[in-house]
Formats: sequence, C-alpha cells, structure tokens
Amino acid sequence: MLEATDVSKVYETRGVETVALQGVTLSIGGGEFTALAGPSGSGKTTLLNMFGALDVPTRGMIRLEGQDLGALSAAELAHLRLLKLGFIFQAYNLIPVLSARENVEFVMELQGVPGAERRQRAMAMLGEVGLADMAEKRPLEMSGGQQQRVAVARAIVSNPRVVLADEPTANLDSKTAEKLLDLMQEMNQRHQVTFLFSTHDPMVIEKSRRTVRLRDGRVVDDELAAA
Amino acid sequence: MSLEFRLAKRNIGRNLRRTGLTVAATVFAVFLVVVFVAMAAGMHEKMIEDGVRIHSGHLQVSGKDYLKKRTLEQFVALDAELLEQLERAPSALGVAPRVVGFALASKGAATHGVAVFGVDPEREGTVSSLPTRLESGVFVDGNGHGIVLGERLARNLGVELGDELLLYSVAYSMETAYDLFEVVGTLRLPEPALERTLAVISLADAQAFFAYGDRVSEIAVLAEDADHVDALEADVRVVLAKRSDQDLELHTWGEVMPELKEFIFIDDAGMYIMLAILVVVVAFGILNTILMSVLERARELGVMLALGLRPRSVFRVVYLESMLLAGLGLGIGLALAIPVVLYFQGHPIPMSEDLQGAAQVIAMEPVVTFKLKPMNPIGSMITILGVAALAALYPALKASRARPVDALRSL
Repeated sequence: MLEATDVSKVYETRGVETVALQGVTLSIGGGEFTALAGPSGSGKTTLLNMFGALDVPTRGMIRLEGQDLGALSAAELAHLRLLKLGFIFQAYNLIPVLSARENVEFVMELQGVPGAERRQRAMAMLGEVGLADMAEKRPLEMSGGQQQRVAVARAIVSNPRVVLADEPTANLDSKTAEKLLDLMQEMNQRHQVTFLFSTHDPMVIEKSRRTVRLRDGRVVDDELAAA
Repeated sequence: MSLEFRLAKRNIGRNLRRTGLTVAATVFAVFLVVVFVAMAAGMHEKMIEDGVRIHSGHLQVSGKDYLKKRTLEQFVALDAELLEQLERAPSALGVAPRVVGFALASKGAATHGVAVFGVDPEREGTVSSLPTRLESGVFVDGNGHGIVLGERLARNLGVELGDELLLYSVAYSMETAYDLFEVVGTLRLPEPALERTLAVISLADAQAFFAYGDRVSEIAVLAEDADHVDALEADVRVVLAKRSDQDLELHTWGEVMPELKEFIFIDDAGMYIMLAILVVVVAFGILNTILMSVLERARELGVMLALGLRPRSVFRVVYLESMLLAGLGLGIGLALAIPVVLYFQGHPIPMSEDLQGAAQVIAMEPVVTFKLKPMNPIGSMITILGVAALAALYPALKASRARPVDALRSL
C-alpha cells in the first residue's frame, strides 16, 4: 500500500542543514493499524508528511499503491490526496465556519458527491462516531474529544485508502484518548482502512498492531504486537 | 450555494468588528463619492445652463472669425429661410438671432460703456432667460425705442423707468451712430459684470442703430440640455452645409465660454483627485482586512489544501470575501446616498450670504443643486468593485500559493 525506499530528507534554514530522515525504507500493507513511534525530532512527522503527499523527499522514493509520488505534479498530488488519503491532525483542525456535518461533508463535496448522498453519508458517519446529535454544531461549540471524533469521521467518510494521523491523542485527556483509539480501531476493522499514525503516547503504541520506532531519522525497530 | 461562496460568506462574519469597520469605511466612501459627484454634476449643469441661457445658447452660429474679433465686421446675413431651417432642426429647442455691439450710454453727466444686445423679442425667450430676469418694468417688445438695462448699470447711470438714454457708437458704415432710447425695464443678472454693462434693445432697433441692414452678429441655438449638444450640432451642421453662400462658423458653448469649460474641468479634476484618495484609503482598508484574515487562517487554509481543495478554489474564496465586503459597503452606501441626492435634486440648497458673492464671480445663481446621472452609481459600483478586486489580488495569491505542509507545519 505505502512504501518508502531509501528516503532521506534534509531541510535547509539560513544555510544550516537539518537531517530529518536518513535512508528510511518501510512498507505499510493494506488494512494495517500502525504507529510511528519515537521522541520529538525523530522524523515521525516528516515521514508522515511524505506518505501524505504533502512533502517530497530529498532522496529516495515514496509510493502509494505502486505509484511514485515524486513523479506527480502539485495538482496531481492534490487530486491524489483528495481521492486516496484521509487526514487527522493533532489540533483537530476542523474548519471553524462549517458545522460538524459540513466538515464531514467537506471532502465528499470536493469529490463531487451529490448533496443528498453526501448528507446521508455524513449523518451516518457522525452516528458511527456517536455525534449524530451534534451535527449542526460548529467546532467551537464542541469539546476537544468531540472535535477529534468529527475529524475521524471526516477522514474516513470519503472512503480513503489510507488515513494518516499525526499525534491524534496529543491534545486529549487519557480517557478521551482511549475512546478515540477504540473508535479508530473499530473504523480500521469495519471499513478496512489502513491507519498510520505518529505518536509517543505509550497507550497508543500499546493499542497499535505494529509499531515502527524512529530515532534520529532512522528506523531502529519494527515490531508486531502479539496477537 | 457553492462551497466557495459559503466559506467566503461565513468567513466575513467571523470577525464582525473588523468586517463592520471595513464595511463602514466603504459605506462612507461610496456615500461621499455619490453625493459629491451628484453635487458637481448639478452645479456644473446649472453653471452651463445659466451661461447658455444668458450668453451663447448651446450653439452659436456666427460669421467667420467672430469669436476672435467680435466686431460688426463679422456677421451673418439673416434671412427668413435660414431662421426657419434652424428652427426646424430636430434637436433645436430655440433659435435667437442677435446683434451685439458696443456703445456709450449717457444720461446727464453720467456716461458708461455698454454691451448692446439687439434681440428678437419673440425669439429671445426661446433661448435665453433674459426676458424672465426683469427686476422692474417690461422687456423690449419692438415697439418704440425701448431699452432694458442691467440693474447696476441703471443705478450707475442714475436712470429710472421712463427716462431717456442716449446711445452713441460707430455704425457698420463707420458713421457715427446715436439715438435716444426710453428705459422700459431693468434686469437682475447672476453675473455682476454683465449687470453693470448690459443694454438690451430690439433686433430691429439694433440693426437700424448700427446701420446693419439684415445682418446679425450671432444666432444662438438651444438644445434640450448639455447632453444633447452633439445631436444638435450635427443637425445644425446639416443646415449650414446648405448655405454655401455664406462663410459661417459654428461654435459650442464650451468654445464661446472657454473660461467656464476650464473652470468645470479644474473643479472636476480637484474633486476626482480627492475622491481617488478616498477610494485608495478604502482599498487599503479592504487589503488590510483580507490580508489579516488570510494570515490568521494560514493553518486552516493549509488544512483545506491538504484535504484536496484546489489552489484556485482557495483563490476564489479569498476573492469572494473581498467582493462581498465591498458589495455590502457599496449596497448600503448607495441605499443611503441615492435618496439623499434625489431629495436635494428636488430641493436645491440656497447658499449662505458669504458664498453668494463667490457664486456671482462665476456667474452662477447662489443655490447648490444636485443631479443624479446614471453613470454616478454605475461608476461608483465599477470603481469600488474594481478596487476591491485589486486589493484582494495579493492576499488571494498568497493564500492559494501556500504549500499545505508549510501552512500546517506538521501534519
């Protein structure tokens, strides 16, 4: 599904080079529920950005379903993100002027899904994440946990191949974080969507089925959880 | 409603105070633009109207070089056919032949130089307002040797109605011309200089006095208003083209009264410079609002781009926000300004005594008049929306060219 082959990323700021990734080779299969773990600065977010077609490697290749992302234009990458990827951000990042339902409909609207079908699918998905009664609320009227559940609904409702989540529980208390992880696991199993998320939260690592550990831009460990 | 429009509409409602201030600035600018342009249009039209109704008509037919020399040597040989052809011109509202000459007017020891206007009593009223500007007495009617003087001239000469006044001059034949005229009326004119010098006699009396035969100095032709001068000019040129027996010239009011045309031009230029400054200030207001809004939403725009919103859609959202802001200000501004202008168009404002003197210097009646021409609100609309479109360009480009990864900083 997702492949990184000998990927390196070097940032240059005012003449100073910072190496974020060094020769990372990693393969994520379909339907996986995988955590990228590691301390701050280990390269988790950089690698996630590469898989999300938001950034390009300095060296190496990123492939999604066999397609080399480095060969695509900015517009083609945007189209690919729209059709194949779902995103969950650390700070929820719902669109504040849209209601919960409209946020869930957003990607489908960009995909050109007809209004009635869009609305029906969004309401069904909000029902799945337990927020059907909050459909017309704006993000500022919701708690952090509720907003992140809307973000999960938004990421999944458009049937992406992969959902990428950057520290999805970082801003949540432990109880809410656990509920969110249970929800993501349920979505992973029910919709057969691949989940790849970065984290340094032990509870998230514990619940993931595979954990890839990064340090100083390299993969230092790759382990499967016991069945 | 499209997603782009929905986002734009809701975004301008996010910071109501900032939106309110920007809209208020736009309303203020639109109001001032519409009111000032209407006032200038009304005042200028009044100046032209007053000018053509006393001096030239909208068009003036005269002999060759009359405008440069203004002597009895430059004339139009008047015949009934020419008058009839001009009167039949479709755009002509009135036609008045005149003899214009200079003379000395004497009463007792007082002598003053006067501009003698020989007018056709029946036709003069179709072009000029002179017959309606009587302060006392009656207008010349062609019977007897009647003369109507400017009120100030009559005062300076010390004459009253019924007094006899001696005019003497040099006739077209170069002989001395002199005759006695009975003062039958006085005129109150908006132009003090003219009121101090004008003496009106009948056309027949003027032709006899100056030994001018059937000649006249000029034929004034009046159009419905200044906007119809071009059509009238075309009609009159057709008439004059048929009269190859005479070398005639045709001049517009602007050529006859270049100082008035220049005054209007300078007045317009000053006003438009001031309004342009106002519009530029509004443009910066809109630019500031939209740019601040874009900078504050960098992360949000990054999220939308990451989710698959195309850069051109982001551009359109920001652009629509600017146009909605400007459109709102424009709508409210026009809704406030147009009724005000229409009210004052029907109710001209008398000038204060201090300003009355200034008005007289430029031969204008001391009232502030307004005229709402269709181009005024249409021009305001085009200007404000154009300015908003320009002001939005930089923020919209900045927003649409953002890389989602930079905007998000992290996924």
